[in-house]
Amino acid sequence: MQDILKAKHWIIISLLPALLLYTFIVIVPIFWSSYYGFFKWSGMNEPSFIGWANYLEVVNDPIFWRALKNNMIIVVASVFGQVPIALLLALLLRKTTLFQRFVRSAVFLPMVISTVVVGLIWGYIYNPEFGIVNALLEMLGLESWTRAWLSDPAVNMYAVSVPIIWNYIGPYLIIFIAAIQNIPTEIEDAAKMDGANGFRKLFYITLPMMWTTIKVAVVLCISGSLKAFDQVFVMTGGGPAQSTELLATYMYNNTFMTYRYGYGSAVSTMIIIVSLILILISQILMRRKEEKGMSI
Amino acid sequence: MRKDVVYEANRSFNPVFKQKKSILKVMKTVFLITFSFCMIYPLYWLFISAFKSTDEFFQFPYALPSEWTFDNFVRAWNLADLGGAMINSTVVTVVGTIFTVFLGALTAYVLSRFSFKWKGFIMLFFLLGMLIPIHSTLVPLFSIMNEIGMLNTYWALILPYTAFELPIAIFLITAYMSSIPKEIEEAAVIDGAGYWGIFFRIMLPIAVPAMATVAILAFLRYWNEYIFALVFINDASLKTLPLSLSIFSDGYSTDYSLTMAAMAIAVIPTVIMYVFFQEQIMKGMVAGSVKG
Repeated sequence: MQDILKAKHWIIISLLPALLLYTFIVIVPIFWSSYYGFFKWSGMNEPSFIGWANYLEVVNDPIFWRALKNNMIIVVASVFGQVPIALLLALLLRKTTLFQRFVRSAVFLPMVISTVVVGLIWGYIYNPEFGIVNALLEMLGLESWTRAWLSDPAVNMYAVSVPIIWNYIGPYLIIFIAAIQNIPTEIEDAAKMDGANGFRKLFYITLPMMWTTIKVAVVLCISGSLKAFDQVFVMTGGGPAQSTELLATYMYNNTFMTYRYGYGSAVSTMIIIVSLILILISQILMRRKEEKGMSI
Repeated sequence: MRKDVVYEANRSFNPVFKQKKSILKVMKTVFLITFSFCMIYPLYWLFISAFKSTDEFFQFPYALPSEWTFDNFVRAWNLADLGGAMINSTVVTVVGTIFTVFLGALTAYVLSRFSFKWKGFIMLFFLLGMLIPIHSTLVPLFSIMNEIGMLNTYWALILPYTAFELPIAIFLITAYMSSIPKEIEEAAVIDGAGYWGIFFRIMLPIAVPAMATVAILAFLRYWNEYIFALVFINDASLKTLPLSLSIFSDGYSTDYSLTMAAMAIAVIPTVIMYVFFQEQIMKGMVAGSVKG
């Protein structure tokens, strides 16, 4: 009895610090922001209750919907950029020679670089005066293609997606290499015996064997690209004329630039709802994969 | 069986087949080199530009510097108070990492070794945190910190960093501790060691590999973190590196090689870390992202 009490005591004492810190900083703000979303509040004065007005304003603001659409562009660009590139590279990088290990390290390198540096340096790469993108196009005789990549609303959302793709290929590459190495060699040998080579082996053996991992990667990619906004924030700040606004930059600009904390809280709540919906959708994808009885 | 072997042997002696294979191999190598170059180029450009004068940068933006000079580094260091920023980043990152590893290990010890009523719920509760987009907590955290006067202190960064990293830390260390047989502590229990004793003398040393992974991940994330620092820190003397870079680049926006030097200074520590702990960083980040 004494021992059980002692154990109980210990469990409570040792869980408490992590639990308190986590609850107050990660969980409480969610309820806090959905509550303050009902108030008009500049941060200085007393908040005054205004009902659903903030939430209605968010839903009726075309800029909010544009930001949501831009977020979706980033998600789609990440899924169709990062996953296929990582897959192709993983298929080419099956050995552990020095050269192949070097390529792997190079692809992973951007993961350790500050997102601020990524944003700034890609801003320079796109610079119309001295950026290498325009310089390369001129060299190739494609002067008509050169433009101010980050300020032309027709292309700037695609332009800001490239650094995000570049930034996060690494983890998917490592996941895919591990998946390829997990394919039993007997299966590969058997396929070879049956005369399957090159593309036939790829499409009938390797890719089907990796299918569950590819699905997991897509799910990770969706939730991961929802978080990526530092780079865009540094490159354009959501501009010009809010053409590259993301949900997070929209929230930032509406809260800390114009001192509308109530409205910002409502936007924060909307961000959580949107993310949860997307994660739910991707979890349903995940569930399907578990039914087949395989995991990575 | 016999036939296959002969068939294979014939094929590899076939000169046309061999030629086709070697062309493919060359194409593959060329592609891999080009791709690696594209991945490294931004960083390479950053470093070579940092060694140039601004005039030279505008004249030959892509060439190697005609004269390698450290001027930009010295000027950037002094103008932006990068030394101060580096101290701030180091304090926040080191304290945050220690908190994360310690709290993560302590919680993981309880979750992996004791069974109690609320265990399942607590695990789920921590997992929930990985679903919450960090930027959606900015406004409420700013208001709360404003209320209790925590803005513009190191704690304004250390506590949120730790809190948001805890789920991954707990998850990775719990998984590792669960894989260790329980017999290991039993001897200590018989010797009459208390729970703290078991935790410090047995569990912590055993869990070092998992804790190292968590520490590396936390270190990189805290060192590079930007948006919390941007919102919670206004005091110039408390700015972390990413924050002072973003402000610096606004103020000196046309002095590109100077800004590049400032960025190079900020990037060097993480790149050095990457060179030494490459495998661990790759594995840790993949584990962190798969679980997250």
